[in-house]
Amino acid sequence: MGILQTDKTLPVNRLIFDVRRDSALLQRFHADLGGVMADYGLSVAEQAALRAVDLKALAALGVHPYFLPQVARLFKGGGYNHNDSAAAQLYASKMLAPGD
Amino acid sequence: MANIVAVIALAHAPGVTGWLDKAPQSQQDELIRGYAAMAKRLAAAKPDVIVGIANDHLLNFQMENIPDWCVGIADRWQGPARWFQDWLNVADYEVAGHRALARHIVRGVGEQGINLAYADRLLFDDNWSVPLKFLTPRYDVPLVPIHMNCVMPPLPPNERCYAFGQALTKVIQAWPGNERVAIMATGGLSHDPGGPKYFAVNEAFDRWFLGLLGEADHARVLREVTHERMIAAGDGGTSELLAWLVAMGAAGADTRADTLFYVPSVPLRCGMGGVAWRLSA
Repeated sequence: MGILQTDKTLPVNRLIFDVRRDSALLQRFHADLGGVMADYGLSVAEQAALRAVDLKALAALGVHPYFLPQVARLFKGGGYNHNDSAAAQLYASKMLAPGD
Repeated sequence: MANIVAVIALAHAPGVTGWLDKAPQSQQDELIRGYAAMAKRLAAAKPDVIVGIANDHLLNFQMENIPDWCVGIADRWQGPARWFQDWLNVADYEVAGHRALARHIVRGVGEQGINLAYADRLLFDDNWSVPLKFLTPRYDVPLVPIHMNCVMPPLPPNERCYAFGQALTKVIQAWPGNERVAIMATGGLSHDPGGPKYFAVNEAFDRWFLGLLGEADHARVLREVTHERMIAAGDGGTSELLAWLVAMGAAGADTRADTLFYVPSVPLRCGMGGVAWRLSA
């Protein structure tokens, strides 16, 4: 995992890129995640990982590291993003599980 | 001809605007003093325009077509992009661009053998929103934003970054206007957005890097500050320091950079620092 392992052809990378730039798509992301993922051609593995906010699985599939905290923010909000915030704690719980 | 009146580089991590109150008071004080020192240094140079170089954060560069650099040529810029507004806690702003100079840079640097993309529309995130809030809070100095690929391999080699900085200065100095131009790189220092060191800072790397910049041996910086070392110090973010290598090239052969501040801030999830090169050296 890391920037060197990014698969820049991975459909979910395109989805995360676009959803941050397009307010209408962001609304649809929250209202119809399955439909959006299908439209972007995500694989079964990508869809399962994104739906579960499984950041480690997304990283293993080749999502760019920079997008991973932003996925957490997509689901938990981006404001006041300090280390104890819901988004940062979601990131920690998914990426820094005990035993790593 | 235009004059390069300042070359600076500084961190742009969003915690300093978004959740500074979560840092210990001593860090808050040091950071506010540090950014104020950078603002003072920039103001003393009386720039008519800032030419900035910063990581694109994969906000404008689509993965199917990532340039090393993309020059913003618009007349006006707005920020922050909507998705980043609550994250950054920076009020909406507008700042003028400098279309004629930006186009001159695209053409002139191209003639030096370095291909630059260009764009009329670029979304701004922390890359400009954080430094501008502290350095030009009235947004009264026009900005030519140059977005850069610092995080999607293959990254531009160090020597290429340095050569771009050299070309940038040469081309700006050939501009027929008499503008006073400041070069401002933003990004770094060690941080690891999206990696296992997200809640850590590599203070040893940062202090080593800042020390090297102070030794005025550019060849050594290019040789020793490898992509591998940057990635090891914080995958996904530390290589934003490639923008600093562009600034180093723009500052001139073996100029020395003075560190104006450095705060290794875990609450802000970034090694926060800033430097200014001594242009008279």
